[in-house]
Amino acid sequence: MITVTHYLMLSAILFAIGTLGVLTRKNAIVVFMCIEVMLNAVNLTFIALSRHVGNLDGQIFVFFVMTVAAAEAAVGLALLIAFYRNKETLDVDDFNMLKW
Amino acid sequence: MAIDFPLLSLLLFMPLAGALVCLVLGMGNSTAPRWVALLTAAGVFVVSLLLCLLQTPTAGWLFYEDYRWIEQFGVRYTLGLDGLSSVLILLTAFLQLLAVLVSWRQERAPGVFFALLLVLEMAAIGVLLALDLILFYLFWELMLIPMFFLIGVWGYQRRFQAAVKFFLYTLIGSLCLLLAVISLYLLHGDQTGTYTFALEALKQTELSTTQELIFFFCFMAAFVVKVPLFPFHSWLPDAHAEGPAAGSVDLAGLLLKTGVYGMIRFAFPLFPVAAQKTLPVLAGLALVGLFYAAWVAYQQVDIKRIVAFSSISHMGFVILGLAAWNQTAWEGSLLLMVNHAITTAGLFVVVAMIEQRTGSRSLDQLGGLWKSHPNMSAFFLLFCMASLGLPGLANFAGEILILIGVFTVKPLWAVIAVGGILFSATYTLRLVQGTLWGNNCEPHDKQDLHSREWLVLIPLAVLVVALGCYPQPVLDLLREPLSALLLVGGMP
Amino acid sequence: MENLVQEAIQNVNLHAVMPSLILSVAGMALLLVAVFSPRGKTAHIAWLSIASLIVAGIVTIMGWNDTQYGFAGSVQLDNFAAFFSMICIIAAGLAILMSDEYLKRENFPVGEYYPLILITTAGAMWMVSGTDLITIFLGLEVLSVSLYILAGFFRDQVRCNEAGLKYFFLGAFSTGFLLYGMALLYGVSGTTKVYDIAAYIQANPDTTTNVMFVAGGLLMLTGFFFKIAAAPFHMWTPDVYQGAPTPITAFMSAGPKAAAFAALIRVTFICLEGMQDHLTTVFWVLAVLTMTVGNLIALNQKDLKRMLAYSSIAHAGYAMVGLVAWNEIGSAGILFYMLVYTFMNMGAFAILILIGRSGEENLTLDGVTGLGYKKPMLGIAFSIFLFALMGLPPTAGFTGKFYIFAGAINSGYIWLAVLGVLNSAVSLYYYLRIMIFMYFKEPQEDYAWVKIYPATAVSIVISVIGVLYLGIVPGSIMQLARMAGF
Repeated sequence: MITVTHYLMLSAILFAIGTLGVLTRKNAIVVFMCIEVMLNAVNLTFIALSRHVGNLDGQIFVFFVMTVAAAEAAVGLALLIAFYRNKETLDVDDFNMLKW
Repeated sequence: MAIDFPLLSLLLFMPLAGALVCLVLGMGNSTAPRWVALLTAAGVFVVSLLLCLLQTPTAGWLFYEDYRWIEQFGVRYTLGLDGLSSVLILLTAFLQLLAVLVSWRQERAPGVFFALLLVLEMAAIGVLLALDLILFYLFWELMLIPMFFLIGVWGYQRRFQAAVKFFLYTLIGSLCLLLAVISLYLLHGDQTGTYTFALEALKQTELSTTQELIFFFCFMAAFVVKVPLFPFHSWLPDAHAEGPAAGSVDLAGLLLKTGVYGMIRFAFPLFPVAAQKTLPVLAGLALVGLFYAAWVAYQQVDIKRIVAFSSISHMGFVILGLAAWNQTAWEGSLLLMVNHAITTAGLFVVVAMIEQRTGSRSLDQLGGLWKSHPNMSAFFLLFCMASLGLPGLANFAGEILILIGVFTVKPLWAVIAVGGILFSATYTLRLVQGTLWGNNCEPHDKQDLHSREWLVLIPLAVLVVALGCYPQPVLDLLREPLSALLLVGGMP
Repeated sequence: MENLVQEAIQNVNLHAVMPSLILSVAGMALLLVAVFSPRGKTAHIAWLSIASLIVAGIVTIMGWNDTQYGFAGSVQLDNFAAFFSMICIIAAGLAILMSDEYLKRENFPVGEYYPLILITTAGAMWMVSGTDLITIFLGLEVLSVSLYILAGFFRDQVRCNEAGLKYFFLGAFSTGFLLYGMALLYGVSGTTKVYDIAAYIQANPDTTTNVMFVAGGLLMLTGFFFKIAAAPFHMWTPDVYQGAPTPITAFMSAGPKAAAFAALIRVTFICLEGMQDHLTTVFWVLAVLTMTVGNLIALNQKDLKRMLAYSSIAHAGYAMVGLVAWNEIGSAGILFYMLVYTFMNMGAFAILILIGRSGEENLTLDGVTGLGYKKPMLGIAFSIFLFALMGLPPTAGFTGKFYIFAGAINSGYIWLAVLGVLNSAVSLYYYLRIMIFMYFKEPQEDYAWVKIYPATAVSIVISVIGVLYLGIVPGSIMQLARMAGF
């Protein structure tokens, strides 16, 4: 029997993977994808909990999170492209004009 | 007695208005600012002289103003003038007038320079008038900013260090003061339900001895740095040595006084028990400072530094008088403070003149000025004699009163202090001998005093002699306020 | 179905979002205007933006003392929200005033810039008036996404790209934490409405020891701490502040930060009240850490923008002292302090705009050597802002700090106040250093390139007036802050 706990554990694991990825990966695109993994882990939590507590608020929240994530993706990728044009690299270690 | 016309506010804001005018006129780098500054300083002097002459010696407030200001916190705009503050304000106004004259030939950004001098005057007067602790703190901090710039911009080679040292020392002291003020205010509010910063109300706060001691130390941290009492003095010689002549006059004449004033107006009456308990410590530090500063002064080569250390030594004497905690000693302390301001200002002025003529302040290179510049040397000699406490000249009157006062309570302190006077004679005589006699130096400017310098030195010299022979008018003004302040504290 | 729709429409109450609505509509309309304007002609968009900010400001002020609830309790435009909205509006207005000539100098006069500021402000206003986690999240994201663009606005400058990207990555990262915390809170209480969560906890007091609830609360706070740049979540601030266009840096340090504080106050003071005992400890530690880290690192900075970035971290630490007090005076203190900070910090940045050359390579300590002599008025204005940032009377910096620290002492946190005052003493050193370079050293250059742009000068004058007014007669505004306090 799969309970809400399983969903929560799965999403917690996904969130942790995403967080670790952000902290350790070098390629900016991969870092960006890791952030998406974090957000989707949150979405999974919301949906599972929405089912668990028995109202739709959580699922509505998920819609907003997805919309916002899309907007963030658009802006984030645009910033990445602008950076790539100037520096021809996407390695996070090359973000070094300013002291990190 | 309260009169409707806000005379005290006039006194306070006249310099500010003058400062603004100076700033505006100074844009064209013209000679106008110095005339504005002179007129303003003269105006302030006349008003403060009037205030002194108008009053009869009583203990209460002769003038009093009280307006709402920041109601949420019970901060009020309260000014009060009694004999004590009027004497010190008169002194401030007088010295400021001289400071303007001394820096008459200021070439570098004269508008800003004179504006800062006037702001400094306003802040010093504000400190001497304010009866609301926040208002007091405001003026206390405001003194810092103009002085910082006066030293830092118009000073000598090592002026950055001197300015920053001055700023940090005094500011850290006053931050302690601020914390104590806020805590005291909240304690008082919790006890009575009325939140106020009024000095008179806060005196009624009930405090445990520990609380009193903590608050007292925080208040004193600000005041002893300003005085400055050994071992918090190390900013003063630098500030004097690197600051311009007018800055030195203001430091010795205005800033140092506010420290002592803060003690007797605020710290002692607010926390009498703590004050009583720490008197021996205060006296001890004062005595150590008296000797230490005299000893260091003896080692110096720079004549401006010698005067600076002599100033620390004298302030040690003043604090010793306060620590004796009786009427005679306190009157002596205040009198010595006034006299010391005048003699030290005189010394700094002459030192600046010597430097102008010889290009040096070093005892190694100076000498023989008595021959080349007899008039200037005569004034220098007079101020030096006053500084070492020659009877009949200014400082002696204060010192003898302090010694008498101290002797009645702690004969040992008085005996040690007399040794200090002897010590001060040694370095002063070395100063006189090294500059006026001995090897002839080659001053590049042979001119003796010119008219503006006469104008500065004569009033100082007259006062040095007058206050030495007949200090009674000053003592009359001081007597009642001081005995009232002593009563609040109770006898030890 | 029809009933549901009708009920939803009745619940809307546009009055509750009127100010932000005005700004969003104006923002979108001006985006269109910008598209049809020739490149380089942006002044009219700037003035229209300021006009719409003024309208929004008037609407906000008219709603004072008239709390509006809207969208079935998702939005609550009360005095608290109105005060913070005004801070954001003022910050946005000052930022726009100092922008136009700056954009021309940096050779990137693009009209989309101003609508983005308006939309950022609208997002900030949803954030401060939101009483539903969804509203707060949406406001935060509208604000953040527009700011990502603004921070990386000069797409030809690598420095600026980098600032935008770093802001984006850390912003999105922290959003993840915020959302995860919100999800867990929702799971425990079954609602996303702030007051319903509080009611749920009231009914079930043992929730406060529930692991999921505590974890959710802490994760959400972590998200907010990123936004207000509290140590140890401050690492992005210096880089982003240094690289972003200067008006945006100024704006970010005032408006959006105030909005984040507002949401933080509302969420913690209402939802997490049960955890007060533990949270005050957390806030205590973070406040001290934040101000100490900010001040100590600022001591060693040569770049002025970076130094002001660290100083802004330190000032966030001072404001957090108000959170520790956890009462009406504390939150009123934060309100007042953020207003004061808006004026003094934006004023300082406006000066930097005037001093900077194209590319802003010269905004270092050496770059202002002797400035006070060559440009006396700029020097005086800069000194006033620096004295305010130090917290000296009679500037607003003093009254602001006074308010905050008095609140802390009043709640019994004497040591916190002592540490705060010690920190102010440390901060003197680096602010003074700027003044030493400005006044105590002989000018090396004639500063011929420094032109006093009229609009930027207006923003400086407004800031000076604000700093002095709030410093000398702060009574009336303090009264308003007290009325708005939580």
